[in-house]
Amino acid sequence: MLVAWNYHYRNSPMDHIDPRARWIFSFAFLFAVTQTWNPQLLAGLFAIALVWYAMGRVSWKDARRGWLLISFMLFSMIVVNTIITGGGAGGVVPPGGQLVWPDGFSLFGRHLTYGLTVERLWFAISQLMRILGISLLFILIPYTMDSRAYGATFSKLGLPDRLAYTMELAFRFIPSLARNLAVTLDAQKARGFELEKVRGGLIKKIARIAPLLIPLTMNAILSSEDIANAMDLRGFGQRKRTWLFALQYHWWDWVLIAFSVVLLVGVTVLVHALGMGGFAVPAWFYTFFAG
Amino acid sequence: MPETLVLPLEVRGLSFRYRSRESWALRDINLNLRPGEVMLLAGSSGCGKTTLMRCINGLIPLSYHGEKHGDVFLYGQSVQKMSLSQISTRVGTLLQDPERQILGTYVLNEVCFGLESLGLPRSEMLERAGQALKRLGIWHLRDHETFNTSGGEKQKVALAGVLAMQPQILLLDEPLASLDPASAHEALQTFRALADEGLAVMLVEHRVEDVLAIQPERVVYMEDGQVTYSGDSAGLMDVVDYTRIKLPASVVMRRAKGQPLPEFKPAVPALNPASQPLVEFRDVRFRYTPDSPEILHGLNLSVRAGEVIAILGHNGSGKTTTVKHALGLLKPTSGQVLLEGVDTTKTTVAWAARTVGYVFQSPTQMLFAPTVREELAFGPTNLGFSKPKIAENVEWAIETVHLQDELPTPPLALSFGQQKRVSIASVLSMRSRILMMDEPTAGQDYWNYQAFMDTILQTPGFDAIIFITHDLDLALIYANRVVMLFDGQVVADGSPREVLADEDQLRGWRVLPTSLLRMNQQYFPQTGRFLRAEALSQFASV
Amino acid sequence: MEEKKSIWKFGTREVVYAAIGAALYAVLTYALNFLQLPGTGNVTMRPAIVIPMFFGIAFGPIVGFIAGFVGNILADLLSGYGFWFWWDLGNGIVGLLPGLFSALIVNYRAGKSILLAELSVILGSGLGMGLASVSERWVSGADWNTVLVANFLPAFLTDIANGLVLLPLLMVAFAAVINRSGRG
Ligand SMILES: Nc1ncnc2c1ncn2[C@@H]1O[C@H](COP(=O)(O)OP(=O)(O)OP(=O)(O)O)[C@@H](O)[C@H]1O
Ligand SMILES: Nc1ncnc2c1ncn2[C@@H]1O[C@H](COP(=O)(O)OP(=O)(O)OP(=O)(O)O)[C@@H](O)[C@H]1O
Ligand SMILES: [Mg+2]
Ligand SMILES: [Mg+2]
Repeated sequence: MLVAWNYHYRNSPMDHIDPRARWIFSFAFLFAVTQTWNPQLLAGLFAIALVWYAMGRVSWKDARRGWLLISFMLFSMIVVNTIITGGGAGGVVPPGGQLVWPDGFSLFGRHLTYGLTVERLWFAISQLMRILGISLLFILIPYTMDSRAYGATFSKLGLPDRLAYTMELAFRFIPSLARNLAVTLDAQKARGFELEKVRGGLIKKIARIAPLLIPLTMNAILSSEDIANAMDLRGFGQRKRTWLFALQYHWWDWVLIAFSVVLLVGVTVLVHALGMGGFAVPAWFYTFFAG
Repeated sequence: MPETLVLPLEVRGLSFRYRSRESWALRDINLNLRPGEVMLLAGSSGCGKTTLMRCINGLIPLSYHGEKHGDVFLYGQSVQKMSLSQISTRVGTLLQDPERQILGTYVLNEVCFGLESLGLPRSEMLERAGQALKRLGIWHLRDHETFNTSGGEKQKVALAGVLAMQPQILLLDEPLASLDPASAHEALQTFRALADEGLAVMLVEHRVEDVLAIQPERVVYMEDGQVTYSGDSAGLMDVVDYTRIKLPASVVMRRAKGQPLPEFKPAVPALNPASQPLVEFRDVRFRYTPDSPEILHGLNLSVRAGEVIAILGHNGSGKTTTVKHALGLLKPTSGQVLLEGVDTTKTTVAWAARTVGYVFQSPTQMLFAPTVREELAFGPTNLGFSKPKIAENVEWAIETVHLQDELPTPPLALSFGQQKRVSIASVLSMRSRILMMDEPTAGQDYWNYQAFMDTILQTPGFDAIIFITHDLDLALIYANRVVMLFDGQVVADGSPREVLADEDQLRGWRVLPTSLLRMNQQYFPQTGRFLRAEALSQFASV
Repeated sequence: MEEKKSIWKFGTREVVYAAIGAALYAVLTYALNFLQLPGTGNVTMRPAIVIPMFFGIAFGPIVGFIAGFVGNILADLLSGYGFWFWWDLGNGIVGLLPGLFSALIVNYRAGKSILLAELSVILGSGLGMGLASVSERWVSGADWNTVLVANFLPAFLTDIANGLVLLPLLMVAFAAVINRSGRG
């Protein structure tokens, strides 16, 4: 089995932004966007997310798999839950409203009535802008952040060394464990084990992965003794750590951080002081369904 | 002269007992080591070698607890009064498995790990890391992922990480375990060169004969926590038990002369060259993924009943890749592999497992059941054997590896050597006709692996046995056919005598001739076949 | 035992266990998606969830939390899915809660320990998946019904099913290993 990181250097604008500034911006955006359903604010934030995504210069080919997963999630959340089954949309959308098809419609010669309202349809669009906006920001991370940068970044953002280094070490283990898993799978296959072939109930089916799970986990635990020794023997955790990975703020990073603060504070003020958090359908949207 | 007074390493009256144990792991050890010296530390499994190293590098008592007497001095200073990071700049330790001590995802990150821990500024890290990488000749690897380097390269990367800390003392715990003979030899040359530059090197190794090639200044032999010999290498030859430690063949022959010979009768059936091949490779080419390089380049090979085949070849030559094809775990990219005449692309691995029993190298990668009995029953149950048949097979398999008493024990609680035997028994219990073993002896001491190979070879029930090994002596003692792989191709195939005839040729394949091979060649006119050193001594005139 | 376990210790060993737990969780989540486990209806199974639970039970709440939290981040990074903070946090809690019980568990084979561990699995999954599901209210504006039916129940039920079946198996195996791994 192949486990590959998706990162490679693209010389994109994103590659020139300090990872710390990127995380700060991403979180500021996350907390800003989840405060409001106001159409203008959401549209503005969504536009910012699109610009941000474009700065990563991630090709469609690279990111396709991620987007497929996200489309699946968006589909089940928005199309299935909000539009088809018509959930109450978190108490955001007031009950009642204008039906999209007030007179019903005919399909295959039959007359149908369907309770989708214009308000709920707009709510679905707002949901899409919100979640897609967040996705646009965060889906970039695996493609544009060097796996060597995580430890240094989180440490410089204030996380204790040990925690920051845990992240770095986890990256180191992933390919080894993936290979161990493949070896264990082969070793058990050589003893006639067939993962796919299961009879029996749920418990039997779940327990079927024990011949894979147990050797892999126990082997990992046994090797951690050597690894902990190797770390202690090279002075781990005895002093404040420095990091090989160089992080350097440039003026544009400060601009980005300032912008992040303005964005978060601005949206918070608009929402709480000026009451711009509430859900509303823009007037022009009704005109589509006025007939 | 103050230099001679202050030794890099002095061990005085050292004893240690682990908290969870009754018995002492070390008893009254006294040693010292001078700059520029290589010390070989030998002894069978469990004699306390690793424990001694832990006392020197500070893991005892900082990470492992227990009762300790005596002391260790580094340049006259007691380790008891030093912190781990202080010790780490004096003593560098290389553990057995490089895979388990490489901490960085990239080579440069790995080499800098210790320097990051010391809190050095980036520029100094880069300078020191650069020096270490150049010193070991692996500067070109600095931006590689550690995962993608070869076994020998990994070893050097790990060593570079240790050297970057600029220690004056180097502790090496079985650093050669998974290397092919040529890589092992190169690693040893590196250690020698480091000593010649002034480091004090302490080397634990089972492969005594290999280490003697770099002329260690001092040899120490341990038994049961005590030093039983300390002196030069010539003296060692007379005192240690030659069944415990592998000594040069001439020494064993001299000392075994007149001793009763252990009996050894291989149990595979007589070879019938006209029989149908059990396994047949036809022009097999293989690559792991469509865009990765080709690993096997047109391999032809057939296995018949009555053969005991040793597969030799350098690290990465494709040995494991090849044997996995026999079982259908890998399918050729082009060409064919036939198992009893059936193409493996048309069968399942589970079906193939009835014919071929394949023992993987590491037992911990397959043991999972709560008892040894269930572990052994796993294979036959998967193959759909009847209950009484399963019970019968389990009984037979456990007797074969002499672990009857352990049937109710959890396999994970056994010692490494016992686990290895359980993992083999769990394949034996399927009663396959062909037994394939990937490096069956790696990581075990000489006495254990010899006893183990003797048992397997004398167990009836196999039509053919195939084993992969880096130990040339194993091939020439046990095999009746040797297949030499080099860079994904079979470059020689025949009796041990034929394949191993030409020393220069062997070196070209990165296999080094051993003293046992030379002795066997010398006495071949009398013996007519290759024998172990004890048996050869009967023919020796001196 | 002779020594009181301190469940909040975070030394070198714990760093290694946490990192290995996280990597294991990520690799297994990612790999088992491809190995096509026998499906149970249309719910995606995630047997790997037992890893943070077990690491919590074996090595304490911090290790359990990191195994779940960082492991979920890495699993998402591997599949290119982005970064879903609240679900990461929820997975962290699935490992943290069993960790709170770890001090009470000395003999990993004992029936009592296993019962206790199973209880912690139910609590941890309920709390962790509960938090993650509820976050959908303020992140995506889902209503309570959606939160419960589409988010919480499938995640909670499959997590406890996997946890209840697999955790005892790992604990029994660990009981055998623990004697051999000795930085005591
Ligand atoms: N962490 C530990 N806790 C308890 N006992 C231990 C520990 N490590 C080793 N021992 C015991 O101490 C003794 C010496 O072990 P040590 O590992 O030093 O042997 P060794 O000579 O290095 O063996 P090998 O060649 O197999 O590596 C053995 O009996 C072993 O079981
Ligand atoms: N799963 C894999 N995916 C991609 N390449 C692999 C894989 N396994 C092995 N290789 C590559 O195939 C080549 C042959 O590997 P193989 O394991 O067969 O060698 P080997 O002769 O068994 O070596 P060793 O003596 O070190 O065990 C090596 O270059 C190795 O890097
Ligand atoms: Mg040892
Ligand atoms: Mg191999």
